[in-house]
Amino acid sequence: MTTDTIQAAPPRNRVQGNRKQGNRKQARRNTLIGWTFILPNFLGFLAFTLIPVLAAFALAFMEWTSFSAPKWVGLANFERMLGSDSFWVALRNTLLYALGHVPLTLALALILAMLLNRKLKGIGYFRVAIFFPYITSLVAVAVVWNMLFSPDSGPINQFLQFVGVANPPGWTSSSDWAMPAVILTSVWRDMGYYMILYLAGLQAIPTELYEAAEVDGASAWQRFWNVTLPSLRPTTFFVVVMLTVSSFKVFDLIVVMTNGGPGRSTTVLSQLIYQEGIGEGKFGYSSAISLVLFLIVLTVTVLQFKLQQRRER
Amino acid sequence: MKRTTLAAIALAATVSLGLTACAGAAGPAETADAGGKTTLSVSVWNYEGTPEFKALFDGYEAAHPDVNIEPVDILADDYPQKVTTMLAGGDTTDVLTMKNVIDYSRYANNGQLQEINGVVDSLDKGNLAGLDAFNLDGKYFAAPYRQDFWLLYYNKDLFKAAGLEEPKNITWDQYAELAKKLAGTSADGKKVYGTYQHYWRSTVQAIAAAQNNGDLIGGDYTFARDQYNMTLDLQKSGAMMDFGTAMSQKTSYRTMFETAQTAMMPMGSWYISGIVAAKQAGKSNVNWGLAQLPQKSAGGNTTTFGSPTAFAVNKNAKHSDEAKKFIEWAAGAEGAKAIAKIGVVPALQTEDVTAEYFKLPGLPTDELSKAAFSPDKTVLEMPVSDKSAATDKILTQEHELIMVGERSVGDGIAEMGKRVKDEVLK
Amino acid sequence: MTNLTEDLRAEVALGGTPGGTAGHERGLAERRSPRARKERTVNVVIYAVLVVLVAALLVPFLWMLSSSLKENNQVFTVPIQWIPEEFLWSNYSDIWTRIPMMGYLQNSLYLSVIITFLQVLTGSLAAYGFSKIRFPGRDVLFLGYIATIAVPWQAYMVPQYIMMQQLGLTNSFNALILLQAFGAFGVFLMRQYYMTIPDELCEAARIDGLSEYGIWARVILPLSKPALASLGLLTFVNTWNDYMGPFIYLTSNRLWTVQLGLRSFVGQFDAEFAMIMTGSVISVVPILIIFLIGQRYFIQGIATSGMKG
Repeated sequence: MTTDTIQAAPPRNRVQGNRKQGNRKQARRNTLIGWTFILPNFLGFLAFTLIPVLAAFALAFMEWTSFSAPKWVGLANFERMLGSDSFWVALRNTLLYALGHVPLTLALALILAMLLNRKLKGIGYFRVAIFFPYITSLVAVAVVWNMLFSPDSGPINQFLQFVGVANPPGWTSSSDWAMPAVILTSVWRDMGYYMILYLAGLQAIPTELYEAAEVDGASAWQRFWNVTLPSLRPTTFFVVVMLTVSSFKVFDLIVVMTNGGPGRSTTVLSQLIYQEGIGEGKFGYSSAISLVLFLIVLTVTVLQFKLQQRRER
Repeated sequence: MKRTTLAAIALAATVSLGLTACAGAAGPAETADAGGKTTLSVSVWNYEGTPEFKALFDGYEAAHPDVNIEPVDILADDYPQKVTTMLAGGDTTDVLTMKNVIDYSRYANNGQLQEINGVVDSLDKGNLAGLDAFNLDGKYFAAPYRQDFWLLYYNKDLFKAAGLEEPKNITWDQYAELAKKLAGTSADGKKVYGTYQHYWRSTVQAIAAAQNNGDLIGGDYTFARDQYNMTLDLQKSGAMMDFGTAMSQKTSYRTMFETAQTAMMPMGSWYISGIVAAKQAGKSNVNWGLAQLPQKSAGGNTTTFGSPTAFAVNKNAKHSDEAKKFIEWAAGAEGAKAIAKIGVVPALQTEDVTAEYFKLPGLPTDELSKAAFSPDKTVLEMPVSDKSAATDKILTQEHELIMVGERSVGDGIAEMGKRVKDEVLK
Repeated sequence: MTNLTEDLRAEVALGGTPGGTAGHERGLAERRSPRARKERTVNVVIYAVLVVLVAALLVPFLWMLSSSLKENNQVFTVPIQWIPEEFLWSNYSDIWTRIPMMGYLQNSLYLSVIITFLQVLTGSLAAYGFSKIRFPGRDVLFLGYIATIAVPWQAYMVPQYIMMQQLGLTNSFNALILLQAFGAFGVFLMRQYYMTIPDELCEAARIDGLSEYGIWARVILPLSKPALASLGLLTFVNTWNDYMGPFIYLTSNRLWTVQLGLRSFVGQFDAEFAMIMTGSVISVVPILIIFLIGQRYFIQGIATSGMKG
């Protein structure tokens, strides 16, 4: 419709619509049409997600045990949160996890997608295999990776000793190394998921772009850098946002693998929200934590959104 | 063309699925009140895998033909979370099973349960183990029907092979000594541990609290020092599997004992029916016996710990009177006998009930095993308080750090106290 | 349907590089044979890399498979035992009678198919609105959509449950369908994909007299098969594997899904992990089938560029 939503595809024959005439009428018509497209999803979203979310945010300023009527307490929940050691530990762990998980998964998912985006015999089976970690039972993942990470007899540490690391880390039984171990496992598990998204993204790149680049004598690396990456920008934006969001919300894998331990070394915010809320019945307090989590992720997402829009121009 | 056909097939398949899906799954379908019967709903966990519920319900229905009990089956893993959510939504299930006392205190303190002092008064209060846990300032909101306590399981063959006497009335020092002697390799070359203490914090902390009059929500944990030192020493000597491995490999205590990888194991009485069933199904051939939980010093009373399971009446129950009648029956002699028959330890502890219990085929019949079944004192695993849940979390975290060797016993215990005081008691 | 799209595409492509395509065809033809040889070596290397990678990725699954063939008290052994002492195939026959597995599979399939269908349909519609039609408030609304993804479900599940209870929707499939079919995930995914489709295609179609709905159905949808396939696939897998949602909303046993059924092997103090692994292996099969069907749509793209021209 307008030029600033155009992506990497170079401007071709631009159709000049009669945009100047009846601009206001056209705008109103557009709004109406736009909403008819959005409405089927939006109604369901509003009723079953947005309203409960807003209700949960309101609870952040109340005290509520879920059994009786909520009581307004103002900012008391937030004061308690800022003074709580557990909150800061969980926040720090969550940020560390996101810092490790997002870039590693992003890079590996892209590499895998490039590798698997070709016509080869049996490629379907390879793609399934990469997706397998995501559908393997979490218990199996936790047991096998914990075995691999085992401090004395695990293959990982045996390899490290073989290549000359005198004191290999204790991984999941050490406070300092449990988080890296969890991050490695989660990258291994999630990369297939995001590979699927990149595979879809790669299909949208017009083949003419590559042909043109080849004619210009571009090397494989130059083609990747100048054609593939820019064309994948919308997909990358999606993957980065989803990865960030899911990193900040990580829950299942950590619960099964370390359950937040040893000590508090891998306890993350969503665990805290779960324990304080439905575990101990402090729903107001747990809502306050989720509101903070929400604001952090929102800030990151808006920044990414603005960055993407600027690049598009 | 092709696409439309495909879409049509897919749609047809989905619609037909939709028609069969509801009828397809088996399992107990909701039954309406039939023939003037009252339908009493009871929340339970893992109905298929927890035979005590069926035993109680069948027994009650047989005695009260006008009542039909409908179990509300909830997965064991997240039972409290589901019950909390359901109650928040105004659920009307009549009887709520209290899986542990921490949740009980939360529901009761928030007015979600009906007071049932009338029911409790009509029960044999003196012999009802664990009843005290439900006393909130003289008011009872639930009555226990089951009370598990901890004892020592041991492998008779491994003891015989090592030429050792049965572990009768031993102390923790003797226990550690035995464990070191028993560790080694079995006849078929497998590693055998002297003992196995599961990675739950209770295997150290609750034992220490019970036998030293310690208060687990008090903020001072020096009473646990000896128990920690003993456990860490066993782990270091290799007589016990190390905590990191047991925890990260999700080691199953049943596997350890049933495949004769450990000679001793402190564990709760719930495992009795489990191991009996495993032997009857031919899944284990362990020659096992029971002994009293080891004690701090020799010659005194046997003190152990345990936790009761109870029934309560929902504030929003549809059939409050029927629910109370059911609880009175379940916590009484008839309910106790019904579950004792299948190897579950009832809260009501009378000669009659114990006799019924030992009729169970497959139980060890030696004197020590029988004696082990009647400890002198059973202390509540975790005190009932609104601080219990938060304290439990801290104690678990610090327990892990001591057990993986990142904190010394002294530092760990100090940190426990400091955190409980700062984060919970303040 | 497809013809129209291809016409439009050709129109755009030709208009863009007038005369360029022909010359470039010739260049490709000349270089074909050394290029083919090089491609073969590359393929061999890629195969080797893939085989190693796949082996590494499947290790935990192999553990799952081996555990499903063991006696329950042989599952968690230290050290890990990769090959069962004796193969206990009976787990695979027992599971159908121990729990109503067939019914659970049907329930899971029903939920997954309906939710996936609704998510893909409403998601792609809304995405068109968010990417190809410009109207005031569009971007703010879109950000609102994404932002709610950031709120963990644990935070609002109780308010949501209370609301559903008051609507009388708990303990039914409808509750889950309504909750999960209108998620923001699908809207976001499809919008990002539509952004990569040149707007000129829409413009050209508008000039040809198509309405916006016509453009969505006849131009955009056929072009976005890869994205529809990946959205469908991921939604299906997530619904199929979801545990907490069905756990909270489905109380009667006859409504349970596979994931709930498997958890019923977990008791208060221990669990039957051999059975859980058996069930997990069975529950992977439908996902495999869906995957192998869905992934066929990821076949255009760079590798075929030489052939298609």
